[in-house]
Amino acid sequence: MNEIKSLEHATLKVPYEVFNKKYRNAQRILDVEARQVGSAAGDLDMTARKTGVTTGEIDSLLGGMVEKLNTMKRKASEAINEEVQAAYVCKKRLEHLKEQAEALQDPSSTQRETEPMRVRYAVPVRTSLNHWRKVRLDRMLVDYFLRNGYYDSANKLADAKDLRELTNVDIYQAAAEVERELIARRTARCLQWCADNKSKLRKLGSTMEFNIRIQHNASCPAHIYPQRYADNKSKLRKLGSTMEFNIRIQEFIELVREDKRLEAVRYAKKHFSTYEKEQLEDIQHCMGMLAFPKDTEVEPYRGLLAGGRWRALVEQFRVEHARLLHPARLPALPAALQLGLAALNTPQCARAGAAAAGCPACAPPLSALARTLPHAHCSHSRLVCRISNEPLNEHNQPMALPNGQVYGEKALKEMMKEHGSIICPKTKEVFCMKRVEKVYVM
Amino acid sequence: MDSCLGVEQDLDKATSKFNALNDHTNKVLEDIITQVEDLKKEISKQPPNSPLTPTQAMVLSDLAANVKQTVFQMSTEHRELHATVSRVGKSIDRHFIVDYASVAPKAESFCSDTNRPIMEQAIAQHLYREGLEEVGDVFVEEAGVGAVERTCAFAALQRGAAALAAGDPAPALAWAQRRAHQLLHSPLPFALHTVHTLKLAREQGVGAAIEYAREQFPAHAARHEKQLAATVCALAWLTPGAGPPPAHYHRLLDQRALGAEAAELFLREACALLRLAPLSPLAGAVMAGARVIPALHDIRAKMSHQHVAAAWADDELPLEVELGAEGGSYHSVFACPILRQQASDANPPMRLLCGHVISRDALHKLAMGVKLKCPYCPMEQSPSEARQIYFS
Repeated sequence: MNEIKSLEHATLKVPYEVFNKKYRNAQRILDVEARQVGSAAGDLDMTARKTGVTTGEIDSLLGGMVEKLNTMKRKASEAINEEVQAAYVCKKRLEHLKEQAEALQDPSSTQRETEPMRVRYAVPVRTSLNHWRKVRLDRMLVDYFLRNGYYDSANKLADAKDLRELTNVDIYQAAAEVERELIARRTARCLQWCADNKSKLRKLGSTMEFNIRIQHNASCPAHIYPQRYADNKSKLRKLGSTMEFNIRIQEFIELVREDKRLEAVRYAKKHFSTYEKEQLEDIQHCMGMLAFPKDTEVEPYRGLLAGGRWRALVEQFRVEHARLLHPARLPALPAALQLGLAALNTPQCARAGAAAAGCPACAPPLSALARTLPHAHCSHSRLVCRISNEPLNEHNQPMALPNGQVYGEKALKEMMKEHGSIICPKTKEVFCMKRVEKVYVM
Repeated sequence: MDSCLGVEQDLDKATSKFNALNDHTNKVLEDIITQVEDLKKEISKQPPNSPLTPTQAMVLSDLAANVKQTVFQMSTEHRELHATVSRVGKSIDRHFIVDYASVAPKAESFCSDTNRPIMEQAIAQHLYREGLEEVGDVFVEEAGVGAVERTCAFAALQRGAAALAAGDPAPALAWAQRRAHQLLHSPLPFALHTVHTLKLAREQGVGAAIEYAREQFPAHAARHEKQLAATVCALAWLTPGAGPPPAHYHRLLDQRALGAEAAELFLREACALLRLAPLSPLAGAVMAGARVIPALHDIRAKMSHQHVAAAWADDELPLEVELGAEGGSYHSVFACPILRQQASDANPPMRLLCGHVISRDALHKLAMGVKLKCPYCPMEQSPSEARQIYFS
């Protein structure tokens, strides 16, 4: 087990999903093209068998076939190249992970670095490891931004640190656009996205499309749903997504809002008949809405007609989009942050006046989060001098002042040199060195 | 490393198959196109209204069948790659941990409405601290983060370090010069002069570098004799037309590595001097977290029994994780060597007369009336002579 194995699943899985999608896309293109060429070949065969065919006819048929074959060649080559490109993104990230895989392999690597053999190389090794860690934090931040819809921040950070290839900013570009459209109360892009990922969303049990449709019912006519609609039907379906459902509902609501009730009914006829049993109640609410004025105070119709539903749709879209790409529900950042705070958290962190400089669990704002977390488990003492922040051990003995406060020998000696006496930093009492006693901690 | 290699193997296999398929498709299609074109040429030699001969009809049917078969074969071949593609996905799932967050049950609550702003404030703080003001501004705007200090002492250092890593030691040198009296025992000034000397040699020729070295190096000769000699020797390989340098000069002559190394040293020394933490709270916590996660995954794998499930709900992490020298100890933690548990307000550390420290509960357990024998040395004493001490 190591840090890479534990934390980097999504780093590879997301580009893999893109690769997989490109593969399915290429397969569809190949199938379509093969069918076209196949039917052209069938025509040729049929014509050749007919009696009294002239070579002129055959010549033009052959010409058509060459054209189709050339198109197929071009499209096939494009599609396959896209697949290879997508695989290359995976590969690129893998290379990045491999860079430090050796150093992160076992937690004792820090000890190994101090072996005499490695001393000469220790500094560069640690420098590059630290650099890699910094990059990892930046990658986590970009991922967190993307998954929370902070697209501009993600783009800016990725550009500033040159991380485009190692993060998913480009993959999320489409999602950012869909959200912009939704906020502008346009559903076409989102429905197209639903269509592209239909199968997977269905698997997720998404009601997105339905909600959008309900909202729609006026903002745009129904003919805009392109043929790509059926593309990823199964994947969406497998995940049991309700995204499409919700989108459809939203479109319906918009129709009602604009008082195009008849059109709304037509819309409902067209799109609501294919949904699952669980959505029956929502559909009933929608149809019930037709009986009320659009400024009704009656629940649930008032809620359905509220403008806040658009915001909720954006939220839902974001969740569904992440569900398609990421198997893990949470970005890595909060998980690592939580465990890190727990590992650094000591009972003293929460106590007033005991804050240590630089301790992440002591300083606001994170201290507020740390307070709710478990403490680090500790069965061996680990002492730090509160004056110098240096560890206390046989080279820097812990010393107790007469008031019981313990500090490091080095720091106390330094203080003696400077002031000629010891002033306890905590209580401001003054002592002489003679009264300071050694403390032995096993 | 194993996990990376495992995935890489499958991925490479997939890539090479796709590349082969691409070449193959192109070749086959080209062949078939030439075939069709040849036939077309042959047929177009005849006047357009002449009837088709039976032989030609036969050839045409054959060709049609051939074309059909080839193109469908092609789509089948592509379909057969499905296994290879999905193997990459499965390989990723197998070699990496999918639900990494399952060992951090409270991470979910970090994304709740009350905690998210706190976390995002810490993120904004981190961005400003790293000198990424622009990103920070956009983030504050997008996420609606409340008041965050936009400037901090560390950001200035960070900029100096970034310049240093990019090959420009001037800001760092200026900083070091201002604090020269505090850096008397630090290796930093010499490291910066080294970077600058080598930079001069590259940009203005070795002469300028030697000039600079003459001016700056004597003050550091006593403490850095060996490195000083190495640096000056390294100049020999920076003259135009010099051959490839021997291996032990690679470190000095690799501009980027040396810059990165100096940048790190600069940050470390400057932080120590200014009493700043070298990592932002967010970075420190995340680094510690990344170290903890593998250990937790390890024990989770070992104990899937339901009795053990309680361990996750406890108010301590279920195990001790070594966080390393750079990212671990901010506080003193005293763990009683007898009871092997952390001291608390109710059970504070007590210093026995002989200097050994145990917890108060352990003291009460070991005491026999008014007598107590230290568990670590032969000294006998009264429990009332023990004194409470404070590590924090």
